[in-house]
Amino acid sequence: MAIATTHVRIKDLRKTYQTRRDDIEAIREVQMEVAEGEFVSILGPSGCGKSTLLMIVGGLLPLTSGTVEVANEVVAGPRRDTGVVFQAPVLMPWRTIFKNVMFPIESLGLSPSDYKTHAEELLEMTGLSGFAENVPSELSGGMQQRVAICRALIHNPNLLLMDEPFSALDAMTRDTMNQELLRIWEEFHKTVLFVTHSIREAVFLSDRIFVMSPRPAIISEIVTIDLPRPRELSIEETPEFNEYVAHLRQSIEH
Amino acid sequence: MATEQQNSESKIVGALAKSVWPVVIFVFMLIIWEVWVKAFNVPEGILPAPTRIARQICEHFPLLLSHTWPTTWECLLGFFFAVVGGMGLGILLAFFPLFHTSVYPLIVAFQVVPKVALAPLFMAWFGLGIETRVVLAFVIAFFPMVVNTYAGILSTDPLMVRMARSFNASRWTIFSKIEFPHALPYIFSGLKIGITFAVIGIIVAEFITAQRGLGYIIIFSEGNFDVPMMMAAIILLSVVGVVLYAGVVLAEKLVITWEHGQKLV
Repeated sequence: MAIATTHVRIKDLRKTYQTRRDDIEAIREVQMEVAEGEFVSILGPSGCGKSTLLMIVGGLLPLTSGTVEVANEVVAGPRRDTGVVFQAPVLMPWRTIFKNVMFPIESLGLSPSDYKTHAEELLEMTGLSGFAENVPSELSGGMQQRVAICRALIHNPNLLLMDEPFSALDAMTRDTMNQELLRIWEEFHKTVLFVTHSIREAVFLSDRIFVMSPRPAIISEIVTIDLPRPRELSIEETPEFNEYVAHLRQSIEH
Repeated sequence: MATEQQNSESKIVGALAKSVWPVVIFVFMLIIWEVWVKAFNVPEGILPAPTRIARQICEHFPLLLSHTWPTTWECLLGFFFAVVGGMGLGILLAFFPLFHTSVYPLIVAFQVVPKVALAPLFMAWFGLGIETRVVLAFVIAFFPMVVNTYAGILSTDPLMVRMARSFNASRWTIFSKIEFPHALPYIFSGLKIGITFAVIGIIVAEFITAQRGLGYIIIFSEGNFDVPMMMAAIILLSVVGVVLYAGVVLAEKLVITWEHGQKLV
């Protein structure tokens, strides 16, 4: 592979929350460089500040000190070239699936007619074309999260931020969603920052895994996942896969 | 398609079956009432029989109708101002925290005042005309609108707002495309309370201004010991109340189509 350009650069990031009584240090120090087109997971125990980190990269939370750059620009707020998928689908119940997917186009002030075909393609790709005119309450949780992924991709962002997007789904649906996500990623090759507390999920999806320590968080280890792509679920049976999993489990516990 | 049609047919049949029982019980109550009055010779000045009230309505229909229109119209007018003002204030409260902290306690305090007690005051200010009646209806219907609009906007899922922000949504987009649609079911609860309250406001104001309307007929026939006429006016008033309420429910059904979606998958 040629030398990839850095897409996301985090330097000396610190984040403290002010509460009524005292300051809570959520993130002590994070350094991170993510290359363009790379699939990177941020893995850590619950409440370690990994979602906070992701929201800071998305320009949705202020940082305390340090810098976050996306495409060589300091992040000062939500960027137009970023798409975010949250823990919950947060679809608008009063809109059809199609109109939910089109929401970013409206809020970014783009022309809906230019993105109609793209929306249809995304729905097709995620197996939702038959549901374009349905409302969210008529879909299962997994399908709703697929809609959220389509919505995050509609405006062709270069950077996809995913905050434990499948944590609310059952294990089987989660496997399917992971496979689908990889398929989509193979197709678009966008940079993905994926927050999760599932070790297997992280190993299955990622090029590299940033392991975060419990609060106050630092990056305790960076693991490169050298497994061939495209990956199928069967890869989870291989010794290599399970070595990564075992190693990461130890890394998190210590 | 066939199943869809069957579905809608069975839905209609189900709805009819549901509405049959209240009707049966209502008719049964009317029969007991009628029999009771006849059997015990209850004087007309105390409780006229349903058939007597029906005859009263038929015989004096033009007169009753000429008083039904002003009542209906004034209800709608008071309700309209309450909806516009109440929603407006509710939105302002939700938008400006400072406004909320400074004004909301006063609103709550004022809400505790029994608004009906203000009727004579309004009469002193606005006279015997339509103004007094509309203002009283407005004041009574106003508060549920404010509170429901405000509560509806405030109960928006913060994650939904964050989602919108992540796509660069402006404050206006967040309000118009997320908070307001989210608040609509709450607003409609407010509208249902509001329209009922507006009717109360108009009737009380008609009692004291005593110029026209069904409330005036009720007070007037009370003076004449004309209980059948009073009952006839009450019946028409109930019809007005039901029709206005049904209008709001219909509007709600047309606007809020997403609340009762069935899982397909």
